[in-house]
Amino acid sequence: MSIQSIYTLSKDDPEARNWLSFLHRRGYPQLKNLVIERVYWLEGSVNLDRLMPLLVNPLYQTPAQHSQLDPELGPIVEIAYRPAVTDPETPSILAGARALGESGLEFARLSRRYQFWGIDEGEARGVAARFLYNHVVERIREPQEVPATLRPTGDPDPVATVSLLDLSDEELLALSKARSWYAPLSQMKVLQAHEKAQGRPHTDAEIEILVQSWSDHCYHTTWKSLGLLKMLSEATARINHPLVVSSFKDNAGGMEFYEDCVVTIKGETHNFPSSIAPFGGIATKHGGVIRDTLGFGKGGYPIGGTTVMGTMDPRMSESEVPAGALHPQLIVAESIRATSYYTNPMGIPMMHPVYRIHPGYAKCFALGHSVGLIPKKYALKDAPRPGDVALLMGGETGRDGIHGATASSTGMTGETLRKESAAVQIGHPITERRFTSAIPVLRDHDCIRAITDLGAGGISCAVGEMGSETGVRIDLDAVPLKDKSLTAWEVLLSESQERMLVAVPPEKLAEARGILERYEVGYTVLGHFTDTGRLEAFWRDKRISDLEMSFLWEACPIDPLQVAHPQRNLHPLRIPEPRTEAEWGAAIRSVLGHYHCADQSAAGCRFDTTVQGRTALGPYAGKNHTMPTNLYVSAPLRGKPYGVITTLAFNPFYGEIDSAGLARLMMIEAITKAVAAGANYREMVLCDNFYTPRVRQETAWDLRAMVETISELSVALGVPFISGKDSSSGTFQTAGRQIDVPPTLVVAAMGRLPDVSKVVTKEFKRPGHRLVLVGKYDCEALGGGVYADSLGQRGDRLFDAYDANSIRRLWDTLLRLHKVNAFISASAIAEGGIFLRIFEAAWGSGYGAQINLDAFSTHAGAPQGVHVRSPRGRKDGAIFGEFVGSVLLEVSSDFNLNEQFGDVNYLVIGEVLPDPQLVLRDQGDVVWRATTAALGDVWSKTFREVIE
Amino acid sequence: MSRGIIAILYSPGTNCHEETAAAIEYAGGRTELVLLRDLLDGRTRLGDYQSAVIPGGFSYGDHLGAGRIFATMLVACLRPQLEEFLEARKPLLGICNGFQVLTESGVLPGRTPGNRSMALLENHSAHFEDRKIRLRVSEDTCLWTEGLTGEILEMPTAHGEGRALCCDGPRAGTRVVFRYTDAQGRPTMDYPDNPNGAPEAVAGVTDETGLVLGLMPHPERVSLPAHYSQDGLKIFRNLVKWLER
Repeated sequence: MSIQSIYTLSKDDPEARNWLSFLHRRGYPQLKNLVIERVYWLEGSVNLDRLMPLLVNPLYQTPAQHSQLDPELGPIVEIAYRPAVTDPETPSILAGARALGESGLEFARLSRRYQFWGIDEGEARGVAARFLYNHVVERIREPQEVPATLRPTGDPDPVATVSLLDLSDEELLALSKARSWYAPLSQMKVLQAHEKAQGRPHTDAEIEILVQSWSDHCYHTTWKSLGLLKMLSEATARINHPLVVSSFKDNAGGMEFYEDCVVTIKGETHNFPSSIAPFGGIATKHGGVIRDTLGFGKGGYPIGGTTVMGTMDPRMSESEVPAGALHPQLIVAESIRATSYYTNPMGIPMMHPVYRIHPGYAKCFALGHSVGLIPKKYALKDAPRPGDVALLMGGETGRDGIHGATASSTGMTGETLRKESAAVQIGHPITERRFTSAIPVLRDHDCIRAITDLGAGGISCAVGEMGSETGVRIDLDAVPLKDKSLTAWEVLLSESQERMLVAVPPEKLAEARGILERYEVGYTVLGHFTDTGRLEAFWRDKRISDLEMSFLWEACPIDPLQVAHPQRNLHPLRIPEPRTEAEWGAAIRSVLGHYHCADQSAAGCRFDTTVQGRTALGPYAGKNHTMPTNLYVSAPLRGKPYGVITTLAFNPFYGEIDSAGLARLMMIEAITKAVAAGANYREMVLCDNFYTPRVRQETAWDLRAMVETISELSVALGVPFISGKDSSSGTFQTAGRQIDVPPTLVVAAMGRLPDVSKVVTKEFKRPGHRLVLVGKYDCEALGGGVYADSLGQRGDRLFDAYDANSIRRLWDTLLRLHKVNAFISASAIAEGGIFLRIFEAAWGSGYGAQINLDAFSTHAGAPQGVHVRSPRGRKDGAIFGEFVGSVLLEVSSDFNLNEQFGDVNYLVIGEVLPDPQLVLRDQGDVVWRATTAALGDVWSKTFREVIE
Repeated sequence: MSRGIIAILYSPGTNCHEETAAAIEYAGGRTELVLLRDLLDGRTRLGDYQSAVIPGGFSYGDHLGAGRIFATMLVACLRPQLEEFLEARKPLLGICNGFQVLTESGVLPGRTPGNRSMALLENHSAHFEDRKIRLRVSEDTCLWTEGLTGEILEMPTAHGEGRALCCDGPRAGTRVVFRYTDAQGRPTMDYPDNPNGAPEAVAGVTDETGLVLGLMPHPERVSLPAHYSQDGLKIFRNLVKWLER
């Protein structure tokens, strides 16, 4: 069959220009130019003239049948998909050709030719290998290659049996590692005993199913060993919150909304793949957590998402990067590109884009949330019944993501980057978007008995879980493959993205097929649910798995874990207080320019925040649309005033000082952010995401301390956790040392609001208004803060001043005041202290503010109980202290403070000024002043420089 | 007399159809979500509707070019229906990806299906731009902007390919209805007020009849009371008024 090719060049190519400047900054300053030529490979008999309108827009693209690049100008590297893999665009090209009447086109592929001016062939290939393609599915196409066909080709390995009977402990462990099972000895011995008892060796497919299902990622062995899963879910059960519809059982948690609807939340981390292949890892992080919403109940609809990243400092030099780790600048830049690539086409608004740094994130932290909406009557799944059809829908199955579950459950070493790159999945948002449209239709036609996504462990985990109470029989030959060389266990385990498993009542199958075809969603009947209690799988007419469900789900041994209090190497802070205006200026610039405080809108503005037309308040607002709101408010029922409010708390520093303190502060911070906007904490739920080092006695202690703390505090506050996820593999091993992530807990709060128009935002509203700090403060407690970090210090004491009673009293006061519109702007204190809030509120409004430092040291006007450690109080601590739980309010000048605040502490600290400038005064004297424009330059520079 | 039904035309990858319908309904219009697949398979016809809107999103994953596949389907498979629709002088709107579909199909600016004379190129920044922008409405006659001449409308943009390229400059039938402006209301080339670097600050164009409109920003996202502005409603109200005449 004839193969033709069309080479196209764009008249101007911002993408090429972007790569050029990216590579200049990545150590290739000698690169003079970069040109990208795109090539179509077409197999079959086609009339190129008739096909051309599909392939090329002549207004900006020039086609030719030979390359238009002059080889004299520089080396050319051509990147194409591997022969066994289908291009994502292939179906679109074939469909377009059919529409044009060119049904003689039998197959099509794409490739990209990069020409580099100013570097040699070897360097060009190096650039390509590092930045331009994904080794799992793509490759460099050599110029002399003449393919016989474009169709995917390849032959699978046969199924084998693996006997463990005669292996010693050492041999069992060696095999476990060599096969990338990463199963501990206890699991290997259970498999050995099971083989003996059943009198036949397991097939490779069976062992793969078992070790995937028993991995920490899927089975939460660490948490189970410490009794933590139970601890948290029992706390939620004890609260018995009337609005909680579903907690910890389904793919997400659900809270009752208004008008017989439920809103859902789930957060998932994707740390391992994002560390070794950030673009693929982050894209599929979003794809995966979105499918948790789609797989909630009988199918939810995603209405918002987040991206939360923790990396090492992207400004570090190449030589500081631990061997085997990627440069954090690359991880951050690629993560932004991937979030944009995935969430924008999904049509899901970005609620919270958050980027943080810590030297411990050599294995990065990559979290995403998905918030969903579902009618209440569909919020709970039914159990599949024997005879129900197991329907697999979405994308084809490929080589991507094999061993993702087991690989991500282990630590990462310098070797991992090379060895496990096949464990990273590839994301195609259009495929997920197709079934995102179809699922609500299937659901509303009662075609869904149960639905779940295919994530870690692929088909094996999804059918194993869904069929755990009944049994299931599947035929792997029915699975559509994009890689023809996959063998049975690889088909079972592949973590190819964008696939869902649905239990369809048999009488609804025809209707379901019709809906899926109208919505152009790929699907296959994989098999059916049985009453055998077994997981049976067939491939090429052979039974390749026959496992008892009871063995699969009950035989996993849980190794006991010891805990021991960690020795922390903490030092008191030694920070000289600023004395001169210049010193104040330097301190303020270092806080505003700190990565955690700086303007991150350069990333956030690449994500759609208003799609779906539900956004009442996005992550950025104010005059320049760059003021972070730290809130997201959706009005999910279009035309109705009801709102969903979400907030996040993520601090990688606090846990180094006190893990339990971190846990308490993250909960209080997340809830207070929402309460300050006017949300009632009694109508709020939480989602937890943990990231801790690989389990040792000390890290287990920290983990347990955090879970105990949030369990107890959630009961005391009456605010339940309804979903979450843990990862205990945050350790990077390299060159004889190991790098642990700091104890990490991100708390997301989700509340409901009767009226989105009543939300109070951060920006100042009117000059002359007073600024009031409500709640406790402690100007000496600077430990874990951004101010200390900017001076290279951590400290030994957190601001951790609230217990459940005192914070509830504060929240109740705020809610009472909110009801009578007593405060006009509000922001909860977090990293960067009062100062960052004042700056952002000024920046977002175009006004300025004055802060009187003496307010913190004199007790004049303050009621009893104001929390001041030293008689005088540090003045830098007043504005930089991270008084989590306390709130900055703007109130009108005739507002009666004493009367309104009752027994809650407050302090008038300044006022809103008409001009865009910030002024610090002490005893009436100006100690420092600057325009917001000058400060804005500092604030907006840090992050922009990292990513551009 | 029953008012006309407005087809909200969507395909796999379209992701703004529901809110577009909601905004038009809020403006008083009657809408129906119509799958492109149903038109292609003959389950429904464009002629059954009095107006059509192609909403935003990433139709067919934006494969081969934003709006390319959708436009190919329209031109290759539905050309007679499309021409009949245009000849019947029915209003047609393309928002964001819908605008890309209208230019890729040649409907904008020349009303010439299959003959392209305008393109929407990758943003100058080479990435997606989610921005809150201002649009100045020109004095060109267009049913969608009737009575809005000179007004500044605030609405979001959210696209990666919106830099308008008019092959012989914005003249000869191309009439610019919306321009990105700075805070003073002046058309601007400055980023990010002009988010994509479009020459002459072009954000939206109409054809010679003023019935077909394409714009990159999203009026449907600023139409309901919960949104930060309701400027988008003005455009949809004009459609409803026109259909009621």
